[in-house]
Amino acid sequence: MDYFAAARGTLLNIVYPIQVVASFPGDAKEWMSEFFQNRDDLKEKNIALEATNLLNSVRLQKLQNLERENTRLRELLGSSFRLTERVLVAELLSVDLDPFSQQVVLNKGLNDGVFNGQPVLDAHGVMGQVTEVTNFSSRAMLLTDPSHGLPVQINRNGLRAVAIGRGMGEPLQLEHLVHNADVRVGDVLVTSGLGGRFPVGYPVGTIIAINYPQGKAFADINIKPAAELDTSREVLLVLPTEKQKTEAEAEENAAIEADSDATEKTENESTSAENLN
Amino acid sequence: MATTRSSQGGSIIVLTVIVAMLLMLIPFPDNLRLARPEWVLMTVIYWALALPQRVGVGYAWVVGLIMDALMGGPLGIEAFSYGFVIYLILRFHLQIRQYPLWQQALSIMALVLVVNIPAVAMTSNFTNWSVWLPVVTTTVLWPIVYAFLRMVRQTFNVS
Repeated sequence: MDYFAAARGTLLNIVYPIQVVASFPGDAKEWMSEFFQNRDDLKEKNIALEATNLLNSVRLQKLQNLERENTRLRELLGSSFRLTERVLVAELLSVDLDPFSQQVVLNKGLNDGVFNGQPVLDAHGVMGQVTEVTNFSSRAMLLTDPSHGLPVQINRNGLRAVAIGRGMGEPLQLEHLVHNADVRVGDVLVTSGLGGRFPVGYPVGTIIAINYPQGKAFADINIKPAAELDTSREVLLVLPTEKQKTEAEAEENAAIEADSDATEKTENESTSAENLN
Repeated sequence: MATTRSSQGGSIIVLTVIVAMLLMLIPFPDNLRLARPEWVLMTVIYWALALPQRVGVGYAWVVGLIMDALMGGPLGIEAFSYGFVIYLILRFHLQIRQYPLWQQALSIMALVLVVNIPAVAMTSNFTNWSVWLPVVTTTVLWPIVYAFLRMVRQTFNVS
């Protein structure tokens, strides 16, 4: 199997130049539209950006306070606090892949520290995860891919579930929740951090429709992803902190006790996530 | 690449295949995305028809493998189907060459269907009619691609 992986890696490195060249027209379009923007538009945009910047910095002050408070409280409880994750900014190559597999190509690879399974976010929420890395580029699978499942929890009450992709343009589906589960249209879902691959508390989407099919054990719950899967060009790759790594190892060691612990933890974290909003 | 000393213009063949790959990758408007014709397959089919002694099953297999890597599919599907299609082309190239263009296009349609079936079966999208759109566009565009590549071949004297 190692041979296959190596061969595939080499092959992907070989085709990377073709992908780069193919992304020129898309990039050029972007660049042209940026270049020919008129002054008034830019001015307007600048004003809007400054306004959001002000708003964000005010929120950030509050957030820093909360973070400190949270750390203190956790110290009192004797549990460890996850440091804020570091991120790496990557850009999508504007190339089209098979329209039926939900994948994108990113312009960062092994050389930049990207690794397999790394979470991919955009400014609005979780986009997916890295599935393949070569030296210069990587390929990420989006949330909407039918083979992608994401452990989530409902922000309002901490109810945990798995969100499964259903292909291009389709909403995600929340699996295996019984008819009387406490879910409502408009509930915000965040990552639960279970499974250890995605960091806790990033927005995933909102519930847009709930159906209760007759004669089926589980409800049919549709989620609209928060991330702008079609339009985002810059994405964030989350780098794990050292602390998180050791924590993950510790969690593996204590896997047997994890069940009761995890419930507690997610509940704590869901409250902190609510504070952020 | 099965080049013999007497043949020439191998780089032209490679160049056309690379251009076809770029055409496969360049982003289309959303409503045309699903109808993207099989540029690379058409190019390889043309060269196999025109120069069967140079572009054979092995050539097609390598191109297919690169396509797999480019499109992010499981390694080997396109490689296999490209190889298979080119085998059929080589088997029947004398007949296909004699056909009028529209009839050629129909035979190409059958071959592209052959390529698409395993790929579609893998992605379990059989019931979605739009997965078959590339077959239609490929058929419609074949005469144009054929004429263009023949012009290229004659201009650069590829043999």
